[in-house]
Amino acid sequence: MSGHTGTELRATDAALIQKIVQRDESALAALYDRYASLLSSLLNRILRDTQASEEILQDVFYQLWRNAAQFDPARGSLPGWLAVIARNRAISRLRRHNPSAGGEELLETTVIVPANLENALAQQQLLSRVKSALENLPSEQRAAIELAYFEGLTHSEIASKTGNPLGTVKTRIRSAVESLKRNLLS
Amino acid sequence: MNGHPTRPEDFDLYALGVLEGEEKAAIESHVPTCADCAAKLAEARGRIALLAFSAPRVEPSPAVRERLMRQVHASAESAGARRAQGAAEPERGGGFFGRWWAAILVPVGVALAIATIFLWSENARLTRELAQQRANLEDQKKQLDEVRHMAALLEAKDTMTVALASQPGMAKGDVRVMYNAKMGMAVCDGWVEPAPANKSYQLWLVPMEGKPVSAGVLEHGGPINPWMMKLPQGMPAKAFAVTLEPEGGMPQPTGPMVLVGPVS
Repeated sequence: MSGHTGTELRATDAALIQKIVQRDESALAALYDRYASLLSSLLNRILRDTQASEEILQDVFYQLWRNAAQFDPARGSLPGWLAVIARNRAISRLRRHNPSAGGEELLETTVIVPANLENALAQQQLLSRVKSALENLPSEQRAAIELAYFEGLTHSEIASKTGNPLGTVKTRIRSAVESLKRNLLS
Repeated sequence: MNGHPTRPEDFDLYALGVLEGEEKAAIESHVPTCADCAAKLAEARGRIALLAFSAPRVEPSPAVRERLMRQVHASAESAGARRAQGAAEPERGGGFFGRWWAAILVPVGVALAIATIFLWSENARLTRELAQQRANLEDQKKQLDEVRHMAALLEAKDTMTVALASQPGMAKGDVRVMYNAKMGMAVCDGWVEPAPANKSYQLWLVPMEGKPVSAGVLEHGGPINPWMMKLPQGMPAKAFAVTLEPEGGMPQPTGPMVLVGPVS
């Protein structure tokens, strides 16, 4: 954490976005320091390629710099939006799609995260809850949901990859989603 | 279908990206028309996004932050420069073309012109060097051929050696000619006193029959390095002689005989 002031460290995402709109580079640096680790972990988990992950990480924040004026914090959560756009780009890269496909339309995507992630402690607490919720899932449900989230596979692609019937895959994923929803919101 | 999704988890499944075909199309066609479902989808996206936290922690390299901030700084400076230029030059005659087109094309044009001149001059230099190298190669080839022929001439058993002696009252000299009629070649060396101004010494083969044949011009005298001469093949020689001729030599002898050597 360097390159920005204590005020920026305490500032809300919304305040920092507003500063970015006014072309304040230190505000972008503050948001980078706040969320780069989360996105880097996600990108590396999906791509398993440090260089490609870092390219996308830089690109996501540069997009934030360019399009901050179009992001409305009242309509959603910045880390949620960053995670959605980073995942979208990583999976596009993984599946040899146009990496920028869908990137711009995500500016219109609203993502509401059921937690405040604006400080490291909150992120750490959420990390524990998510890991715990995933660990409590039956292994086949956890495997199916990880294939969906980290590899971007659809129901039928997961069925094909695992050799399980499509109905079984659908049931496992639906059950996993219901469990996560209960555990993460409790 | 354009109604609400039947189960609340459908939004999570859509956000997760597992839905396909009609299931996916149903949500995509309904959500833009229903604020309530759009809100549910936003919440579902947020829940699914939390799965990012289950990824093993990987800190990005500090270089990424540096590159990002350099990129941002460069774009900010570029935007600032454009604004400043816009303010300083409200609207010139060139308008659109007078601004960014010129900013791109002028430097590109100058760079292309410099590159063209550089390439042209480099091409000319390389062409000259290539020509010089070719000439050197040709010279070396000729010298090598000459040495080979000279060696063959000297080794041949039917090569005769003719010693040319100074004629009374003429310039002093000592010239030796090795001649092989069958090969049609001769080599000469030795020395002769310098020739008068505007005059050259010229070596002649005097055949058994017919007119003398020029074997070459010795220029202005002095030491004669071994020198290869080509002559008509199969021409028996009666003698070799050196005459004093106008500078550059003559088709036939016109001047006094300076050196003569009969073939024995």
